[in-house]
Amino acid sequence: MHKRALGAAAVTGVAALALSACGGSSPTTPSDTGAAGTSKAATTTGVPETPSGTAAPVRDANVDLVIWTDADRSKAVQKYADQFAAENGVTVKVQISTDTRAQFKDATKVGKGPDVIVGAHDWLGELVQNSTVAPVNLSSDVAAKFLPKAIEATKFNGQSYGVPYAVENIGLMYNKDLVPNPPKTMDELVATGEKLVKEGKAKQVLSQFVSKVGNAYFAYPYLSAFPEGGIFAIKPNGDYDPNKVIVNTPDSVKGGDVLAELGKKKVLSTNVDDTNQDALFDTKAAPFMISGPWSVAKAKEAGINYGIAPLPSLTGGGAMRPFLGVQMFYVSSKAKNAALAQEFVTNYIPRKDVQLALFEVGKRPPALKEAYAEVAASDPDVKAWYEAGVDGSPMPNIPAMNSVWGPFGQATADIIAGKAGAKERLDAAAKEITANIAKG
Amino acid sequence: MTKPLALAIKWVLIVATLAGILWIATKLAQAGNTMAVVIAGLVGMGILAVYSTRRSVPLKYLVPGLLFMILFQLWPVLYTASLSTTNYGDGHLYSKEESVTDIIAQSVREVPGTPRYKMSVAIAEGGDPVTADLVLLLTKPDGSTYVGDKSGLKPLPASGVEKTSIGKITKAPGYTVLTARQANARSKDLSAIAVPTSDGGGIKPVGLSEAFEGKATVTYDASADKLTDAGTTPPTVYAPKDAKWVNVADPTQSFPQGWKENIGLANYSRIFTDSTIRSGFLSIFIWNIAFAILSVLTTFLLGMLIALLFNDPRLRGKAIYRSLLILPYALPGFVTALVWKGMFNQDYGIINQTLNISVDWLGTPAGAKAAILITNLWLGFPYMFIVCTGALQSIPQDVREAATIDGANAFRTLRSIIMPLLLVAVGPLLLASFAFNFNNFGLIYLLTKGGPFNGADTSIGSSDLLITYAFRLAFSGSAPNYGFAAAVSVIIFLLVALMSIPGFRRTKALEEVN
Repeated sequence: MHKRALGAAAVTGVAALALSACGGSSPTTPSDTGAAGTSKAATTTGVPETPSGTAAPVRDANVDLVIWTDADRSKAVQKYADQFAAENGVTVKVQISTDTRAQFKDATKVGKGPDVIVGAHDWLGELVQNSTVAPVNLSSDVAAKFLPKAIEATKFNGQSYGVPYAVENIGLMYNKDLVPNPPKTMDELVATGEKLVKEGKAKQVLSQFVSKVGNAYFAYPYLSAFPEGGIFAIKPNGDYDPNKVIVNTPDSVKGGDVLAELGKKKVLSTNVDDTNQDALFDTKAAPFMISGPWSVAKAKEAGINYGIAPLPSLTGGGAMRPFLGVQMFYVSSKAKNAALAQEFVTNYIPRKDVQLALFEVGKRPPALKEAYAEVAASDPDVKAWYEAGVDGSPMPNIPAMNSVWGPFGQATADIIAGKAGAKERLDAAAKEITANIAKG
Repeated sequence: MTKPLALAIKWVLIVATLAGILWIATKLAQAGNTMAVVIAGLVGMGILAVYSTRRSVPLKYLVPGLLFMILFQLWPVLYTASLSTTNYGDGHLYSKEESVTDIIAQSVREVPGTPRYKMSVAIAEGGDPVTADLVLLLTKPDGSTYVGDKSGLKPLPASGVEKTSIGKITKAPGYTVLTARQANARSKDLSAIAVPTSDGGGIKPVGLSEAFEGKATVTYDASADKLTDAGTTPPTVYAPKDAKWVNVADPTQSFPQGWKENIGLANYSRIFTDSTIRSGFLSIFIWNIAFAILSVLTTFLLGMLIALLFNDPRLRGKAIYRSLLILPYALPGFVTALVWKGMFNQDYGIINQTLNISVDWLGTPAGAKAAILITNLWLGFPYMFIVCTGALQSIPQDVREAATIDGANAFRTLRSIIMPLLLVAVGPLLLASFAFNFNNFGLIYLLTKGGPFNGADTSIGSSDLLITYAFRLAFSGSAPNYGFAAAVSVIIFLLVALMSIPGFRRTKALEEVN
């Protein structure tokens, strides 16, 4: 009997251990949201190798260069990878990874990682911390061809780690049929929205991803609208300083008070999350939505006559400044084909045609100035997104940011739900973030 | 079956198994794991010894089970336990030596004011592309050409040199330019090359067609075990502390790359001494048990009641009802859980809208717990219904008739006759259901992610189970820490094991009813 008992205990225990060993999740970052939002539009047919299920791709040992990317971008990357292969007389394989951030880390650890990955710049600190990426030395004249903020985002501790290709940020989407001109201030937005609700033309003022656990990425602009508000202070060298958490400075608290007020007015609600955010805007329930380029495809499909504008400004502060997310190519520090990987990333990705091809699959403004200028001339959406992000600053790419998403997000959700006052709740969040950073 | 045929089949199976082990062993050998290869060999010999001879008959039956138990149960448990005594996690994945190499390699910066060279990788003419010393053929922006190797930079006479339009040298007398593939094959040597220059830097390749003059700012002093970063003024000194390189002058500054080391029982003592973790662990544990017990009870009661109802011979159309009732069980649980999550939405959910209430289901601890139990009831009752229906049908009709003749009413029959007999059959299944729900990760993760989180501590959610808590520690949250999560997993394992022992004793007692 004892044997059986222990056997069963072992089964359940192992199930527990197995569960804790198989997963591979990372904090939900906006770049993840973006990828998820656009994945439906893209097709995965064609040359790139699709993995079965969600398992990491298996590295092909006979190939000269292996690139991992998500399904959306694989086709564009494949095209130029093939061209690169033909020019240099080598073989290149583009493989689709369903969760590049986690799978790259795990595969590299056991020596089976790719040579190049495509990912968001806010992974950088974590990748450096885990020794998985190598510096990429762009010459200064090539670097000068990119948007300065995009190049800034690829740096960590003054070292440069990749080549950017796109910039993304959130902005204000509005329904042109209901609102002819976008509001400049939040007060104006609320007044317009409330009038529409009263007239029965809309059910609520604004659709913004809050959720029960909060969303730090969408809440940050409310703090950054005030001069000293934000998450981390900036070091003299321009990097974020993990030792100076500023989520509870008087200016940040002012932003928190705005969240509380908007929560009270039901403009912001913890009941809006990733599952219904787009639907609210696309069914005309809300005339305004704060979201990013990944929401455009769905709005178009729903036949919404949408416009894109910069985020409004807050009373007593300035314009809400969103985080910039930069998409970039990384080279693995354990790359088996380091030379080819560096060659591909430094010589191919800065090309205009490559940047344009990558724009086509994600519709995010290109990071190369020349490519952006060409796209912006013909695509008003891209220009609008870019302008909505002009004042934004790159999302912190320091590992300490991982300690912020949870506590800060939850704090903003609690403030919006009216569970706690802004000052008190942001103080508590600052304390928790500082403690978490000290532990890490 | 004739004897020779049976023998042939037996040997085919033995050989196939051994071939399988050999294949695994070669894979392990490729990975450089000598110990595992030895163990695989021993296992192979063991199998041969057990099955090729006529001796040790009991072992013939036990070996497969034993092997799989060791491989899939014992090994993960031991591995997790060994991991729990380390600080393995983000920033602590590799060894100390690797952290030093990595920090130095990443500190290389372009020397200001130096030119960028166009570069080709070459070897001295007549050398073997696989082994010969590499040289860099360099072109300055002004068009002058150089040869760089270990000894330094030398001018390359322009005569006989051929260049592409961007200035990359394709041909030079006395040298063989390597193709991209040949050069790539020497990636390791290429990354080690640094053509020394007069100012102490080195010319290093970027890819295959460009080179820059860089200089590592960090140096390692092995005797003092210290890293010095000359990139700052004055130079910063870093010394090892808590598996990280920490700035001696300002302990808040450190390099992000740490290393993995053994930390003994520190993870366990943290579970028991850190007050947030301790109190959080306790509340999670209590809810975890309550969740598992309530889930089993509610699903069993509902399932049994419906089963009793549908077991009544007077009811018509049972087949249709039964298939309908099994539907929730047939749908994928992930979909169902997400649909329920939508239905529980305070503003837009169908539950609040139909009942005309405004319960914040997923935003309050009590609401979230209720929502989880309701969803699990929906997901779990069909299973209990199936099981009970089967068990009820196996209870002989004459036992019930005897009870009726003895004057027992319907309730009395149920309580004294049917229930005991039913429990004999489903008792072990209830226990299994308890163990499953104890670790019901998917439901919690899809519905609430462990939330809502209270006040100033987002590491502990009010609907967290131990397993979702451990998962958050290991894979998300502030800093993924596999070592600590492994320690929590080991504790969960011990708890489940301890709770299962009396449970199985009880099952044995039930079996004795028969």
